[in-house]
Amino acid sequence: MVTIAFKDLALTNCAKRGMPLQRIAFTPHPVWGKTDEQMYAYLEGNDPVSGKPLMKEVVDSLTRPLTAEESKTGIVTPPTGAPTFTDTADSLQQYFLDNGMTDTMPIIIPTQEKVDAMLKGTSHKPDEVVGKMTPAQGAFPPWSYTVQQVAVNAVMAGATPEYFPTILAIASTGISALFSSTNSLVSAAVINGPIRDKLTMNYGIGAMGPFNQPNATIGRAWTLMSRNLDGGGICGETYMGSQGNVINYSNLIIPENEKDSPWPPFHVQKGFKPEENVISFFFGFCITQGQGGKGLGVKPIPLYHQAMSANVAPFASLFGALFLLDPLVANGLGDLGYKTKEQLGDWLQKNTTVVVKDVKSMLFSGLPRGPEAASLTDDSVIPKWSRLDAFNFVVVGGQTNPYHQLANMSYRVSASIDKWA
Amino acid sequence: MKMNRRKILSLIGISPAVLAGSPVLAAKDNKKKAAPAEVKLTALNPRGIPPPITLIPMAPRLATLEGKTVYLVSDGFPGADHFLDQVAKWFKNNMPSVTTEYRLKAGGFADDDPKLFAEIKTKGNAVIMAIGH
Repeated sequence: MVTIAFKDLALTNCAKRGMPLQRIAFTPHPVWGKTDEQMYAYLEGNDPVSGKPLMKEVVDSLTRPLTAEESKTGIVTPPTGAPTFTDTADSLQQYFLDNGMTDTMPIIIPTQEKVDAMLKGTSHKPDEVVGKMTPAQGAFPPWSYTVQQVAVNAVMAGATPEYFPTILAIASTGISALFSSTNSLVSAAVINGPIRDKLTMNYGIGAMGPFNQPNATIGRAWTLMSRNLDGGGICGETYMGSQGNVINYSNLIIPENEKDSPWPPFHVQKGFKPEENVISFFFGFCITQGQGGKGLGVKPIPLYHQAMSANVAPFASLFGALFLLDPLVANGLGDLGYKTKEQLGDWLQKNTTVVVKDVKSMLFSGLPRGPEAASLTDDSVIPKWSRLDAFNFVVVGGQTNPYHQLANMSYRVSASIDKWA
Repeated sequence: MKMNRRKILSLIGISPAVLAGSPVLAAKDNKKKAAPAEVKLTALNPRGIPPPITLIPMAPRLATLEGKTVYLVSDGFPGADHFLDQVAKWFKNNMPSVTTEYRLKAGGFADDDPKLFAEIKTKGNAVIMAIGH
């Protein structure tokens, strides 16, 4: 039984799982937040798809003999269209748009000439398989893709061959930027190493805005790959974000401002050498601003750590916290005595607390497990995040003001860009 | 930051193209004289490679639910437990010979729960899974 809001997802996913005729009875949507009486009324009413009495349909589904089609075995190859499309530039733009292969904005037409030029940005062969991607792990069977198929998407996004190793590194992780959840989740990637300067990426003023070609097109390529390389981004089918998120257009691409940071760069924290080029991935709810918080009006050095704790407190502990600190904030924290990111994380983990009874009333925040849980009462005050590594810090910005932003996002993995050069 | 002549002209609100003689405007004039034939391009397909699908035949159906045990399995989304309580109530009211057994599937919504499904195969006759949100 499935609620009507998930009809397309249920039908298409059953087909992708080899059960195209799976018997599904649909109820009105939602059940969450409805009273017992309202839900019982659903059962006494009709299936909104078939129009038949709902529970009669359920019973029939379990007792009606199978048809020959429902008993069928074999292997089916899903179609993905012709290898090439020929038409005028305007018609091709329309074709790509109509077939859900864009982010709905005009693309660079991926001609063979442009794709060949993109392929010169890597030493890897065009037919090499880069990885596998799915709109949601476990929910949808993953698709595979080659270096050339990644190059086609990179061209469409407006990237240049110099950016291609970074885009291949993204593709190699199989992480979709359009994860299918009703939560309208977002993705971020932090870029470290000399490649930031080689590509003239922006990690200063306006770093996360639409002002720099590599920042923008690498992020856009990630979204296009997340539609095309895994069949994702189809609303109601492989994308279920109830409200959607504008960040999905180009994602949060964050080259770290390493030269103005008082701390080692993010990739070094993860075991890479400073001269290595690395992209690190984050995933979660969204990003918000941190201005106006408690402690920021204190002089001469604002108590940034207190503001960060107050700002992060309402976040769901399902995900961690990614703090994006302008160098002025990072250096201010250094002046306050936080000589490492780990030291700052340790303070935040211990001092960002919550009352147990409040956690019990929250969605997406959980209580600690293990022996210590037994001694907790409703009035116990506990750290909201039990793990120190829930907190991550990246220095970015142009020092026009000591501001920070914070994202309710967790670190996932780091990948070598150099491997794809 | 380097400042070239183009940037300086832009800063004071003058398009560099106006001073240099605009090739864009010149191109527009040429277009009026002779429209070029529409050029066709060949674009490459950006899509990846979906895996082949192995068709799974559905389980044989029961002749009747009367006297049978139906497992009601929640996928773990909010509200599914309360909804399945109502399904159990419906069976009690309308098909009292049916025994219902509620279970919460382990793991996330996409995770398998081999232990539960083994139990259902041994002790149950049918399963209804629900629901969404």
